[in-house]
Amino acid sequence: MDAWLCVMFSVTLLIRLALLCFGVYQDQNLRWVHCGKLLFLGSDLLSALLLFRLLVLHCSARSLASVHCSMWLFNPLTMAVSTCGNAESLLAVLIYPVTYALPVALSLVGAPSRGRGLIQNLVWCFSRDLFLEQCSSASPFTACEYGWDFLQESSLFHLTHRDIHHNFSPYFSMLYVTAEHHWSVVLVLVCFLLQLLLLLLSSLAFCCSIHTAVFVRFNKVCTSQMPFSRSYFLWYLCLLTLVLSRLTLSLRRGLGLLLWFVGQELWLSHAYYLEFEGCNSFALIWIAGLLFLLINSLILGQIISHYRPAEAQLKKTD
Amino acid sequence: MFKCCLLVTLLCFIHRGNSEEADCFPSEWLKSVSMSVKISKAGFHRDLHYRVQWSKTEQEVHALLVQKLPSGVYMDEYQLDTLRRDTGLEVLLDSKVDVEAPEYLSSGFTALVFLSGRREAVVPVHGRYHRPSDSSKRVKVELESPRLLLRSEQCERGVAVDAPCTASNHSICSWTEILDLEDHARVSLELPVGDSSMVISVCGVTVLTTVLCCVYLLRNIWKHGSF
Repeated sequence: MDAWLCVMFSVTLLIRLALLCFGVYQDQNLRWVHCGKLLFLGSDLLSALLLFRLLVLHCSARSLASVHCSMWLFNPLTMAVSTCGNAESLLAVLIYPVTYALPVALSLVGAPSRGRGLIQNLVWCFSRDLFLEQCSSASPFTACEYGWDFLQESSLFHLTHRDIHHNFSPYFSMLYVTAEHHWSVVLVLVCFLLQLLLLLLSSLAFCCSIHTAVFVRFNKVCTSQMPFSRSYFLWYLCLLTLVLSRLTLSLRRGLGLLLWFVGQELWLSHAYYLEFEGCNSFALIWIAGLLFLLINSLILGQIISHYRPAEAQLKKTD
Repeated sequence: MFKCCLLVTLLCFIHRGNSEEADCFPSEWLKSVSMSVKISKAGFHRDLHYRVQWSKTEQEVHALLVQKLPSGVYMDEYQLDTLRRDTGLEVLLDSKVDVEAPEYLSSGFTALVFLSGRREAVVPVHGRYHRPSDSSKRVKVELESPRLLLRSEQCERGVAVDAPCTASNHSICSWTEILDLEDHARVSLELPVGDSSMVISVCGVTVLTTVLCCVYLLRNIWKHGSF
């Protein structure tokens, strides 16, 4: 795993260097316009191929796997993000291994056990064995000698970053009105602890998608703007297609997923009036943000309760 | 970085000219020079419309507007770069601008708007988030009138102000400042601000809601998760 982490970070660095070269070449020679966007579109296709192979590997029928991959590939959000010049789909292929170090380590050293009880399991997560496992997987950072700046920009940024501009995060209004209060640090810590608490899960494949969804939804910042900021939604959207084939949601319950779009549109309408019409809709954005969190939590809860692991699926078919 | 330092140094030389205006432009012709500034759109993203007019002259005249902007607004250098490539708009900023910082953590800056070969320009400007207030729902940001500088290729005598020749900032030229313009160039914009009296309720309800969602998810994970 150490070598894998090293390659991951090396590749992302290479991608950034490649984009820089494209940019310099583009300035001099207009024939290479939009090279970066072509790269991101290519990563969309690669993500779809990886999803298809993984789904087939986990006993999905090829036709069903194709349908699920189409939901990622032909999603307007996916297409718009890549063509606007955001590298989120590239991250979906090579995604931040740091956030997955915890579930990977938990799976390798032995997942939390129901027999231990909730509090004991949380304490176990900070045990000596797991700590050593995390340290050994963190050694590539120093081994690769990318330095503190790279670590800060690629990973630690998400722990400390605070954006007081309106965004989908439920914490936006709270961080905006308390920005100048010295005790806002406590609130930031509370946000992080809530996020961390939910990230302590088991079961790798399912975990990565839920893990990412939780990370994004409970993050201090959640934007979907392009092209100069991150589109956080894409981070879990592609992984969610991996688990769709294993959900036992009925059509009626599945339709409940439309709530996500209702919640998003409600937030977007108030944000539009604030940003482009100058209406004072801060309070409405706050309420819409909390409502969006409630909807997302409800949907996540439904996904968690209706997910069938691969072993259960195989037993059923025997 | 070097270009910014050079520009800042040079801006120190952009001082109000003495009473001796250049002989380059006839005084009768100078009286025909006028300038107007308008602001359009609503919300946090506005456009500044600059227009400079003068009567016919045989000389090729270049105009430069020196616009001081307060900390309540900012211009996006990347956007200006794209506009330079796409529309030929030439704007130079005197310092790095942090596009995410709120008003109370920012400082004012100066934008140089070059009107070479054209007499009008539309420059995008964006409002910053201001401090929440418990007394008013909006805040007014006032933009002072820009200073107008003119230059002619045919004239090299008796000048008042030094400034970059073009937006590429490779060389310095001598410009004539036009004084005593009629004051049609002051604009202002209003931006909404949050309500600081709601701090306690916003924090309380937000933390409560997120804790409830967290408890709901933990309960589901514990009940249905594979351990």
